[in-house]
Amino acid sequence: MNSQSILTRCALVTLFLALLLPPVETAFGQWSAPDELRTQMSVLNDEQTEFITSGAVLEFIPERQLEHELATRDADGLRSFVDDLMSFAAEMSYDPERDMGAAPLNLNARSFNNSALPTPAPLRELKREPGPFSVHRYLFAQSGVPTFGGAKVAIWPEDLVAGNVDVAIIGVPNNMGSGRRDAGSGPNAMRAMDTIATPDMQSLVKPLEALSVVDYGSFTIDYMSTERTVDHVTDMVAETAGTGAIPMLVGGDTSMLYPGVKGVARTHGMGTFGLLHFSAHPDTERFGDHTISDRQALFLLLDQGIVEGSETIQVGLRGPAVDAETLQWLRSKEVRYHTMAEIRQRGFEEVLKRMLREVDKGPDAFFVSVDVSVIDPAEMVAAGRITSNGMRIEDVTRAIRHVCAAKDIVGFEITDMAPMLDLSRLSVIHSNAVLNACLVGIAVRKAGLDPDYVHPLALDHGQR
Amino acid sequence: MTIDSFELRAAKPVVATTMVAILLAPVTWAQDDTVQTPEYVVGEQAYPFDTNDPRVKDKPPIELPDSVAPKLNLLTAEESEFLKSGAARRFAGSAEDTVEALEERTPEEVKAWVNAMQDVVANNRYTEGRDLPNIPLNTESPRFNAWRLQRPRSMDPEREPGPLPLGRYGGYGGPPTFGRFAIALSQEDLVAGEVDVAILGAPLNMGSGWRDSGAQATIDLRLFSWGMGGSDQYALIKPSEVLTIVDYGDVAVDNSSTERSMQHVRKIVREVAETGAIPMIVGGDHSLEYPNVAALADVYGKEKVSVIHFDSHYDAWWGEESHLINHGYPVYRLINEGHVRGADYIQVGLRSGGLDKSAFNWMREIGMRYHNMAEVEVRGWDAVIDRVVAEASEEGRKLHISFDIDVLDPAFAVATGTPVPGGMTMREAITIVRRLCAETNVVGFDLVELHPALDPTYKTTLNSSYIIKACLTGLAMNKEGLTTVHYLSPLSSEHATDDYYGDQQKYLDATEAEKEPEE
Repeated sequence: MNSQSILTRCALVTLFLALLLPPVETAFGQWSAPDELRTQMSVLNDEQTEFITSGAVLEFIPERQLEHELATRDADGLRSFVDDLMSFAAEMSYDPERDMGAAPLNLNARSFNNSALPTPAPLRELKREPGPFSVHRYLFAQSGVPTFGGAKVAIWPEDLVAGNVDVAIIGVPNNMGSGRRDAGSGPNAMRAMDTIATPDMQSLVKPLEALSVVDYGSFTIDYMSTERTVDHVTDMVAETAGTGAIPMLVGGDTSMLYPGVKGVARTHGMGTFGLLHFSAHPDTERFGDHTISDRQALFLLLDQGIVEGSETIQVGLRGPAVDAETLQWLRSKEVRYHTMAEIRQRGFEEVLKRMLREVDKGPDAFFVSVDVSVIDPAEMVAAGRITSNGMRIEDVTRAIRHVCAAKDIVGFEITDMAPMLDLSRLSVIHSNAVLNACLVGIAVRKAGLDPDYVHPLALDHGQR
Repeated sequence: MTIDSFELRAAKPVVATTMVAILLAPVTWAQDDTVQTPEYVVGEQAYPFDTNDPRVKDKPPIELPDSVAPKLNLLTAEESEFLKSGAARRFAGSAEDTVEALEERTPEEVKAWVNAMQDVVANNRYTEGRDLPNIPLNTESPRFNAWRLQRPRSMDPEREPGPLPLGRYGGYGGPPTFGRFAIALSQEDLVAGEVDVAILGAPLNMGSGWRDSGAQATIDLRLFSWGMGGSDQYALIKPSEVLTIVDYGDVAVDNSSTERSMQHVRKIVREVAETGAIPMIVGGDHSLEYPNVAALADVYGKEKVSVIHFDSHYDAWWGEESHLINHGYPVYRLINEGHVRGADYIQVGLRSGGLDKSAFNWMREIGMRYHNMAEVEVRGWDAVIDRVVAEASEEGRKLHISFDIDVLDPAFAVATGTPVPGGMTMREAITIVRRLCAETNVVGFDLVELHPALDPTYKTTLNSSYIIKACLTGLAMNKEGLTTVHYLSPLSSEHATDDYYGDQQKYLDATEAEKEPEE
């Protein structure tokens, strides 16, 4: 049989197969080789045809481009093009004989676990009675060392217990965000700007008078590996929550949402609380090549059942990772998501109502989390994964204040503010406002007030 | 190191042999057959080189006076021994401090105190079953290698191999490239274009100081590259006319794992060096020195390349902590893996804190030549520059220059992850870099730790661009044979219309000698 006839036969078989194959379902609908391109495709062998018609190729090249290539290439060009794509596809997945499957560590290192060793009690230099303590010399004025909201400092769980602490604000300075970095400087920048603990304009409640709040320092991280950071942060969050204090975590990049929520779940139980997550990014990467990252944080929480999809509410989605596939996946998990498209279309008031109804119907307790990317860059230019056309700071703080006043809060987290990116420090001020919104909400609830309560003095000057 | 010695170290010789076979495959083209060691980990293997750092030592043990014996009543022999051992010194301090601490404590408290120290020491060590032995990746991911897979050439319209100018006007007017040079995307392009210098970015973003040194640096340097590609007044030479220089694009890095990025950077740098072109790598953090130099060793042979490390930090940390690479470790890792001899390292501009006597003693022991700012304070820059260039020129050795911009004073380079005041000026830096690239046998260059977001004036980016230009100038001088000690153009360095310095004739003669026939 000469090569010509082999080719012809192959072509005929291929054409036949191609005609039999059902159209390919893609994220944007169906794709099947358009009739006018089937002749061109007939030069491909079975394997090549299968690669094209199975839709596997669409991961590497959009269908518009594929159709263009099919229409314009000659037989040789098309064959080598498809071969190249196939060898590309073959190299995509892990091969233990070619690829590093795990980054090695120095198992001989004397300080292998240096980053996760709190000092045991007998080695602490100074003896003191447990309880939160002030770092300030004066009764009213602050004297130098910056703490969150000027709050007292606590270092050990026994300090939280002795002080009957309601809220422990904690830095988690992980610095491995997938956008621009420097979130590791977030906690200290927020400490250095004294705008937390301001009174609530609506109820006139002063959070630091209504609540026992401490700066619980920062949990340590391994700056070279989020993987090695996660367990320690999880343990420390669980320990903190175990004292009865609400951990309010200040990131750090958004990978820290995973140990934050997981630690709280270890104390309060998996699936016992809802998650209200403000972010431009879905963070539900399902097929990532790492085991933890900001892009995977929510996926891990849902996948491991730490929070239920039906009790998860996402607000402000618009980032580059939001595609039809992702939204479909969120739907399949019963996540209540509210994209910026919904907010634009229906108006924020309407979406807020809907969201609060979902919160009301949800469990008694909530974990509230804010990736600062949810806020528009005009008001939050220091977002590590900045995305234009976001929510107004006032809308975000209003929603958070309400939920923190209406529900039992088991944890709060603000992530991915990279101070270096904002010379004006406005982003720090707004990050503090976000944290304060929840702090105030918790205080309003503790004071026994309705979330919607407005102090008459705040509402009206009363003059006729 | 040979294959045999590797096998002795490996836990499973069969696996090791397989690994060697696999790893040999991509390096069979190497000119020197010393490239036989498995250079990186595949699968979930452990790191194949020794990880014991001989510099990590406990302090000497102490003796305790009999007077404190009653305090030690409750200790077991082992606990008592521990308290006196070197390992306990980092908690209990000197003999005097220890006695004082014992006197303050009851025997019960002493026991708790010692047990706490033992716990910390034990907990700090890797323990199988408790600690992760490595940093796992998600090997199930169908997109596992998506970060580093290269675009098949057939996806773009066919073109001849060779440097590709992006602009419409004599090569200008396109998207910004390093020095406005043409781009090259593959080894084929480098060979076809007979490229002398390939500038490539490596946007690694894992430094320990202010992060974000990576992605923005390689792009911003392209924006600020008008200086990089221009002519040089000191030597009256235009690098781009003497040399074929290309922008080789950015290397893919995984900014969630330095270790994982290293091998790919090494592969691409090797790809450049193999063609005989000089790779100039723009970082990214200083971890990159490791794959850059390792790649040169792959091509030119182990212990055949010397390195000048410009930095305010010595970057030879290692062994104390769990990671095997970060931007403070590249020097030690290169030496440990046998790519470079310690004696072939020259350090310039060191001044950071953290280095103690043992670090300097170690450098002296292995013959590393260090030129700290303290030496500059004693001898002055001119003398130090002469000495460094002389050392770097010894035996015509092949040289890689690793230029961490924090060697510069923060007045000139504030946009860097870990700045340290008291550094070099740009004038000094331009001189030494130009001289090294002209007078020695440079085979590689990197500029790292640029972090544009920290400098809204863009000054640091501009200065970085001019450091690269100084080297391009030197390389062009080298190619033109202008390699005499501290060559400067006799025409641009002296107007010679009078005899002010008493050497007018010398300059006139030199100018005459350099005249090209058509002038």
